[in-house]
Amino acid sequence: MRRDALDKALREAPIPVPPDAEKRGLEVVETAYSQRQPRRRPVPVPRLALAFSIATLLAALLLSPAGAAVREWVDDVVTTSAPRPEAGLADIPGGGRLLVQSAAGPWVVQPDGSRRLLGDYDEATWSPRGLFVAVAAGRTLSAVEPDGTPRWSLSAAARVGGPRWSPSGYRIAYRSGRELRVVAGDGSGDRPIAAATAAVAPSWSPLGHPQLAYVDGAGMLRIADSESGSTLASAPALPGVEQIDWGGAMSSILETSPRSLRLRTVQPLKLAGRPRLGPPRLLPVSPRATVLAAALSPHSDTVAAVLARDTPTGRRSAVVLFAGGEGRGRRLLDVPGDLGEVVWSPNGRLLLISLPVSDQWLFLPPGPGRGSAVSDVSKAFSPGRWVPSFPRLAGWCCRR
Amino acid sequence: MREAQAGSGAAMAQLYAAHWRSAYRAAYLVVHDAAAAEDVAQDAFLAAVDALDRFDRRRPFAPWLHRIVVNRALDWARREELRRRVSRPESVFEPLPPPAEIGGELMEALKELPAEQRAVVVLRHLLEYTPGEIATMLELPRGTVNSRLRRGLDRLRATVGPASGEEGWG
Repeated sequence: MRRDALDKALREAPIPVPPDAEKRGLEVVETAYSQRQPRRRPVPVPRLALAFSIATLLAALLLSPAGAAVREWVDDVVTTSAPRPEAGLADIPGGGRLLVQSAAGPWVVQPDGSRRLLGDYDEATWSPRGLFVAVAAGRTLSAVEPDGTPRWSLSAAARVGGPRWSPSGYRIAYRSGRELRVVAGDGSGDRPIAAATAAVAPSWSPLGHPQLAYVDGAGMLRIADSESGSTLASAPALPGVEQIDWGGAMSSILETSPRSLRLRTVQPLKLAGRPRLGPPRLLPVSPRATVLAAALSPHSDTVAAVLARDTPTGRRSAVVLFAGGEGRGRRLLDVPGDLGEVVWSPNGRLLLISLPVSDQWLFLPPGPGRGSAVSDVSKAFSPGRWVPSFPRLAGWCCRR
Repeated sequence: MREAQAGSGAAMAQLYAAHWRSAYRAAYLVVHDAAAAEDVAQDAFLAAVDALDRFDRRRPFAPWLHRIVVNRALDWARREELRRRVSRPESVFEPLPPPAEIGGELMEALKELPAEQRAVVVLRHLLEYTPGEIATMLELPRGTVNSRLRRGLDRLRATVGPASGEEGWG
């Protein structure tokens, strides 16, 4: 074959073209084109004068109060990037073990990537040091070892949901129907804490105190003493709240609803022996965005949120980081379609983000640095199924 | 291009019609996956729409579009290569199913090249850019382009050449 034969073969060899691909693309391009805002072409200015003007303007802006907004905008634009998978999961980046909820039940993924299905359970949560997993199925709450060996079970009066193991390891909180209950880590001493609660999983104090945050049936965010059941603090919960997460360096509670994210600090009052809920601070989520998931860093007050929005070219999702004192979020990732959950690594140095639309998990550092990706997630957690389903991230263990 | 920049939808459609096939073919020859090639071509045109106002009309449109197409196709191919590489028995992954077969000894041989070599061969022999232009498009040293091209052509020749070759591919 000669060189011109190669050229000809590349130009003319039959290649498969999906039916209507050209037409489909044209429709998308025409839609994008019709919605673009044509910009006026700038009048040419001598480069030196232009550079001087820009430098003067930037200096003025950055030294002014409005400069903060400019810096955030610049930061936002330059740090957003598409996901670039770099490596597979021979090892879990950052170490630790994962808990993954599939249609078949929860799986434990070991640091080397090997995995074990724990059984036919609906929900699962790690114990603080990863020695056990609390699992719920129907009206039964159980503790099992990471290899699936059951340790104990109890039967509740109603369907069990939202089990959460306390950081001390001594207690497990869970919902049975609308009731909030607490049981000891060895399965003994099961008792009620609150009779009517909202459908939101409780969250333990990260400081190791026997204190538990939950949302009651009247829409109040409460902190209760898990031993006595008495309320230590309360405030109106975020309307429509679906998740609460008590953590962070400053001991904050993150409330998540489909439209909003709100943080409250929890101030421990040593003399009074009870905590106080600080004023709520709404995080700046665009009114056009939907909050798909959010997680509070274990070691800082940074919130990682998955926000989705509809655009002219289709739905897009972004992972946005809201750091403690910053006025607006910083986009870490922006992709077409819906992202799934976001989970912080135990040391807070990595984020694990599920990407169902491309069947991947992404491991990304919240700051500078390269991430990595894992592919074919559905198949790995759907053995023997004709139609693999994408699993849900349930936890990353463990804080050392 | 001038009319498309001025807001003429018909001009934009003409640009699309004139360049879609070459964009799709270039993408396909790099990724060897029809759905991915469709996505790559579509993404490239969307990027072109997005950057239309910044486009310098004194320059030709095709190289600008092809640069986007081949770089995006390369990103996709690298990602796929990683997907295949993570099939260790103890890992949670399984290898991808092989891509759909298409006829032709040359196409099979091209598919076996590393993505970086494929991209250079496609830019040189399908789209007919010079090594210097390819180096600019892929942001590579010219020497790297030449060596990738040479290695790619050598491998193609080793597979296809002996049965049908009269001359080298230069």
